[in-house]
Amino acid sequence: MKRFTNLLLKEIKELVNAQLILSLLMMMAIFYFVGHLAKTEMKKAASTQKISVLDLDGSELSAGLSTGLKAANFAIEWSREKDPEAAVRAAKQGDTTLLLIIPQGFGESVARFEQKEISTYSFLRSFSIGGIRKSEILRALITATNGYLSDNVLRKKVPDVSPDILKRPIKTKDYVIVRDKMAEGSAAAVSGFVYSQGVFLPIILMMVIMYSSQMVISAIAMEKQNKTLETLLTVPIPRTSIVAAKMLAAGIVGLLSAVIYMVGMKSYMGGMMGEVRASAPVSAVIKQLGLTLTGNGYLLLGISLFLALLCGLAMATILGVLAEDFRSAQSLMLPIMLMIFIPYLLSFFADVNSLPLPVRLLILAIPFSHPFLATPNMMLGHYPAVLYGILYMAVVFLVLVVIAARIFSTDRVLTMKLRWGKKKIVL
Amino acid sequence: MNAVLRVEGLKKRYGRFEALKGIDFEVREGEVFALIGPNGAGKTTTLRVVATLLSVSEGKVTFLGNDLKKAPEKFREGISYLPEEAGAYRNLKGMDYLRFMAKFYARSAAELATFLGRAEGIAELGPRLKDKVGTYSKGMVRKLLLARALMTKPALVILDEPTSGLDVINSLEVREIIKRFAREGIAVLLSSHNMLEIEYLSDRVALIDKGRILDQGTSQELKDKYQAANLEVVFRSALR
Repeated sequence: MKRFTNLLLKEIKELVNAQLILSLLMMMAIFYFVGHLAKTEMKKAASTQKISVLDLDGSELSAGLSTGLKAANFAIEWSREKDPEAAVRAAKQGDTTLLLIIPQGFGESVARFEQKEISTYSFLRSFSIGGIRKSEILRALITATNGYLSDNVLRKKVPDVSPDILKRPIKTKDYVIVRDKMAEGSAAAVSGFVYSQGVFLPIILMMVIMYSSQMVISAIAMEKQNKTLETLLTVPIPRTSIVAAKMLAAGIVGLLSAVIYMVGMKSYMGGMMGEVRASAPVSAVIKQLGLTLTGNGYLLLGISLFLALLCGLAMATILGVLAEDFRSAQSLMLPIMLMIFIPYLLSFFADVNSLPLPVRLLILAIPFSHPFLATPNMMLGHYPAVLYGILYMAVVFLVLVVIAARIFSTDRVLTMKLRWGKKKIVL
Repeated sequence: MNAVLRVEGLKKRYGRFEALKGIDFEVREGEVFALIGPNGAGKTTTLRVVATLLSVSEGKVTFLGNDLKKAPEKFREGISYLPEEAGAYRNLKGMDYLRFMAKFYARSAAELATFLGRAEGIAELGPRLKDKVGTYSKGMVRKLLLARALMTKPALVILDEPTSGLDVINSLEVREIIKRFAREGIAVLLSSHNMLEIEYLSDRVALIDKGRILDQGTSQELKDKYQAANLEVVFRSALR
């Protein structure tokens, strides 16, 4: 055990070098900086916004519209120009980003049930999210005003009937059914929330497997390149311990790197999108439908993630032996990258169960697919599929470890090479 | 003197190619035994088999009575191997590298300290042992590696071209160190192209070519047998 710890500490020391620490710190700093900027921009967009208004009507209705703008957190800057062209010219010179022009006779036209145009001008002085949100708020306000006006007219014309019934004679009541549970709510809202909650998991998984596999392949390739492998293989420690120490060190460092990366990414995403929280009604529907993971669910998910990581490390160990040097090790990551990217991308837009059988079998044959599928499967009550996935990964891992240990305990650890130039594998 | 290592009828095959075609020799306690031969003769293959890096295709290799096929771990406990182009971990400091390697052999803290003290004496790198290996010259790395190979005073040291790439001064120092440790009872198995080095260092020599040992004996015995002035002429005559 002492010898194994000695080897493990050496492996970790080799992996955690100044280059890795610096790149992680840089990445964190960039994510934090961009996230902070985005958050500031979003706050700015949500705070009181300036809008220039040229009211050529001066009616009760145009005054009502202005009150609505104030209620929507707009600070009105009244334009003193006499005509729309001059108001646009003046707004161009200033720093306003929105201009609303209420034409003369607006109030009267509406009172006569004639459609009247009001003009909005958006000055795109940047393409920030804040700028887009301002015009969205204004549009929503005008839609609300339209609703208010039409409701008033309908109330006057048909006082006995609610305007809502006249405008929407057909009303829908949405129900969502998951397994044997049913709840009133929107399927889109439920799917959207479940998706938003699960969006980080595939990214974490992808990062951990990629980081760790890359480290194992590079560590073995570097041992070959620096001519240290031969010496290491002659020290009194079982070859399986050498393999295990490399895998464990890469797993620990890969996991830590991924956590640091994710903290930075969360800060960035938090700035971009704000915290993802379900509204109270959606939250109630989610609970009612049982779309939350139980303690056992989290345990199964953890086992699934851990086994996927082990499979990645074992694969990387075998591929690392094929590398002649550090450069060739980079290209050997390709098979692992492909095997991660296929389920990763699929998890975003496709349901594996709806794919044709050969494609489905191909996806399920990739060990990394199973943790991607675990969460939706558990939420939908397909626990046997999750358990089969865990069992499959455990078998794949054992087979890979036996192969890796066999390679390390024979001449092959020194003689196996993948030569791209000659396009042949020398065993 | 007792035989520390015994190699009998050793054959090594890579697919259809036979790199070693039945080699026999033994290395005794406190003896420097050298393999000399041209490139591709089978010297490094022989050393790698004894160092447990390559498997035995046929024949028997025993170290202190332990069979390589049955107990390779017994070999690893008692041997130390210095490959021709060996390197050390560039990110580790010289002393950290020695400590890392010594920990595989030391059974106590006191023994670890003894190994490290000995290594410092062999490497003669002084304060540079606190620097990272990546900053060392080739000669410094070689001396560090030699210190690593000898610090535990193993029963058998396997040295593949121990002075390869070293300047005259460093080569002389390395040869002196090897001689000193052999006098203290360590068995040394080495290979070299340098006939002068072999003649100076070794007690007995085996001439190897195309996977076979052509002849073996002390330098003087071989020179007398082939009526040659030096080992270079001995080797040329043996090839004929």
